[in-house]
Amino acid sequence: MKFDTIIMGGGLSGLTCGIALAQRGKRVAIVAGGQNTLHFFSGSMELLGNDGNNDVENPIEAIAQLSDLHPYKIIGADTVAALAGKAKKLLADAGIETTGEATHNHYRITPMGVTKPAWLTLDGLATATQPGTLPWSKVCLINLEGFIDYPIDFAANGLSKMGAKVEIADITLDSLRRARRSATEMRPTNLAKIFTSSSSLAQLAQAINAIDTDADVVLMPAVVGIDNDDASDILRAQVQRELLMLATLPPAVPGVRINAALRHYFQMLGGRFIMGDTVTTAATQGDAVTEVRTAKLQEMPLQADDYVIATGSFMSRGLVANFERVYEPILDLDTNAPADHSLWSQYGMMGDQPYMSYGVVTDANLHPLKGGKPLANVFAIGQLLAGHNPVVMGDGTGVSMITALAVAEQIIGSTHLK
Amino acid sequence: MDNKNKHYDVIVIGGGITGAGVARDCAMRGLSVLLLERFDYTNGATGRNHGLMHSGARYAVTDKESATECIEENMILRKIARHCVEETDGLFITLPEDDLAYQQTFVDACQAAGIRADIIDPAEARIIEPSVNPALTGAVRIPDASIDPFRLTIANVIDARLHGADALNYHEVTELIISQNRVQGVKARDMHSGEIKEFYADVTINAAGIWGMLIARLAGITINMFPAKGALLIFGHRVNKMVINRCRKPANADILVPDDTVCVIGTTSDRVPIESVDDMRVTDAEVRLLLAEGEKLAPSLATTRILRAYAGVRPLVASDNDPSGRSISRGIVCLDHEQRDGMAGFITITGGKMMTYRLMAQIATDMACSKQGNTSTCQTATTPLPGSEQPVAGSASRSFAINAAQGRHGTFASKIKLETDTDRALVCECEGVSVGEIKYAVQSQHVHNLVSLRRRTRVGMGTCQGKLCACRAASLLGRFGSNVEKAQNDLAGFLDERWKGVKPVAWGSTLREAQLTATIYQGLCGLDKAITRKEGDI
Repeated sequence: MKFDTIIMGGGLSGLTCGIALAQRGKRVAIVAGGQNTLHFFSGSMELLGNDGNNDVENPIEAIAQLSDLHPYKIIGADTVAALAGKAKKLLADAGIETTGEATHNHYRITPMGVTKPAWLTLDGLATATQPGTLPWSKVCLINLEGFIDYPIDFAANGLSKMGAKVEIADITLDSLRRARRSATEMRPTNLAKIFTSSSSLAQLAQAINAIDTDADVVLMPAVVGIDNDDASDILRAQVQRELLMLATLPPAVPGVRINAALRHYFQMLGGRFIMGDTVTTAATQGDAVTEVRTAKLQEMPLQADDYVIATGSFMSRGLVANFERVYEPILDLDTNAPADHSLWSQYGMMGDQPYMSYGVVTDANLHPLKGGKPLANVFAIGQLLAGHNPVVMGDGTGVSMITALAVAEQIIGSTHLK
Repeated sequence: MDNKNKHYDVIVIGGGITGAGVARDCAMRGLSVLLLERFDYTNGATGRNHGLMHSGARYAVTDKESATECIEENMILRKIARHCVEETDGLFITLPEDDLAYQQTFVDACQAAGIRADIIDPAEARIIEPSVNPALTGAVRIPDASIDPFRLTIANVIDARLHGADALNYHEVTELIISQNRVQGVKARDMHSGEIKEFYADVTINAAGIWGMLIARLAGITINMFPAKGALLIFGHRVNKMVINRCRKPANADILVPDDTVCVIGTTSDRVPIESVDDMRVTDAEVRLLLAEGEKLAPSLATTRILRAYAGVRPLVASDNDPSGRSISRGIVCLDHEQRDGMAGFITITGGKMMTYRLMAQIATDMACSKQGNTSTCQTATTPLPGSEQPVAGSASRSFAINAAQGRHGTFASKIKLETDTDRALVCECEGVSVGEIKYAVQSQHVHNLVSLRRRTRVGMGTCQGKLCACRAASLLGRFGSNVEKAQNDLAGFLDERWKGVKPVAWGSTLREAQLTATIYQGLCGLDKAITRKEGDI
């Protein structure tokens, strides 16, 4: 099978790149293994939250402080700024409305009741404009009976430390009775599926309206709106007070929604989404890949002009660590990881773990290096890249979208030259 | 309980299995007892071993006395602690690199010590234990078993209390109160409030494991102990159903034990400085050795995820200058400091093994009783521990959580309330721990933090190592224990404690899972920003 571009990996970066290419008429195939890190999505895209030392107010300005290995530094601050605008538009094209600016972080409110810098937040999620400061003086948190993947007492504790008066309202819903009976059924995505029916949404709205509170805002766990925004719109239309949502423990309903929306949009544009398969080998000739093979289509090699590798970090198996080394399993691309495994991590779990910023190293055009030389028709994007740290620097989703768009522009640009 | 300045017949120092056993025995003989533990029960070597109920076969050739003690206690524990024991049996296998002639020496020694030892055909061994190295040239079946040291210790503490004992964990003995060459009592610091309390007793029993060396020093007494570090690795699932040992003289990493949902390979044995025993970290060299030797017992370990590494320190009593500690007797040492050092009212019980804790307790209690003219006899060999009064019949029709809870708590499981849907909700899916079980543990089992909750219920001990359940459990701990701030700090402490065991083996899927955990707690939740915990908080 022959395509213009084959993207290995169907997470945020792969989908973003695929959409940007398909929007420009490219024939694109995405080979997607299955679940991806959008399942841990907070509801906010993060461009850059911390430069390694301090929290960042203006991500674009802060790029100057980053190490030369950081993908933003490779792309350049001006280009990052331009692509950030395009990323917001791409999400909107796919039906995902967000609020936020690349030049000025706002703050998402975490399930543990602290604020973290954010770039683009999905409509309907709770945010603040200043770190550690809430826009409300009185908050009512909704506790859905039997739902334990939402540390509501920690959220309440955190919010009250930020100066809010917090009350917790327990809600027991008939529509969740069946789910409550099964020990493992009360998970965020299961609830969200129940809350797609108009009767269960009406019941939820009624229960929220019945709460006796004079709070400025009611915050509920983000378990509504798994397919699209319709369910949250229906709910909000029936609730008589301001209602916003807080992220839950995974699987994250907003992440599942974004994932589905992007995939749907990609396919609508004519993109080929090969689900539940992974690229296992790639044939090379000189400095170019000639074809790739997948686990399930063994007899049918996939060919393209350009190949994008977007297979993610360790947790997505884009990088593999064994006793001896860290490696990229498809093309054995060069990484920035040292050989000695005792250097990969350090004591103190919440510290800056070196392995987090391991990844594939590239040239200035995001062509990954293999044996020190760039592969001419291959690009590396997203969490597979070296030099950034989503957990400490708050740059994960940003790196995924920005590098994806940077590569898409290059691929489209080179077509024009041909 | 206001026991400041209270006078007891006996104070027991150390909440490991030995101290818990001594407290139970003393209380059953009618003595008034106070048990003091610095951190959580089982925090020392009791919580950091194989979870192996030795048949004694391992010691049969080199130390017949220990072997005999082991098999006798093995048979007793099967009766009195049935809810802590899984009767797996064990194999001693001979590999091509081992001398098959040793097998007969081994079997003869076992039989001399009273241990059933049946030579079986290697082919049969492969059938009854499919994970065993198929290259084996010989196999002997012996009555090893798997035992849960956390459960065993708590059952002893609970029974001591049922017999009137007071038990305080998170109380560190800082001073022995001595006058006229007699230990009159102890000063102990409440680790939560910082308050110093005084307790008095006719007899103080030092059962503090390796830390007993430091307790004795408080009385100016030297016990020449030999801190022998043993490192172990836990694997992500249970590859073997029987204990697998090497049929050779005891050496490093030659025992693989199935424990609940996981299995454990160990140990190493290296002398460490007494100053280092509070912070044992597993080294890269130890990990390499454990992996290399473990794969020889069960080759599939090479491709099994390592959950974590940990190490305990054996309280061996040194008798010579053996640098490894292997040749030191695992025998029980009970010191009457009145006779030995002219310090009345003070006994040290040490040496021995987890396996022989009951016998150690009996010996120490006999000594304490004789000092007080108490003539009652020991009943612990025949009186079942609470939770083990009668066998609990499993049922396929009941939920995983109920069966798992019965396995953990024996007859106590009936006290777990599972009346509402919320109580039945699963907190830990790997180990089948329900909200109701957490509530029961928090309210009835001396749970002070997530680490102690883990030891009581196994929450977070399974394959996922607390990826989601740690957060769920911490929330519930905050709610049932009514200190949300502390519970949130505990969550960070718990994750960091788990990480300490993961760090030495952080590659492969272990590293993958670690990245996932960090993504959830640090990234998504911002736990690092939420906590007010300081280094060293408990």
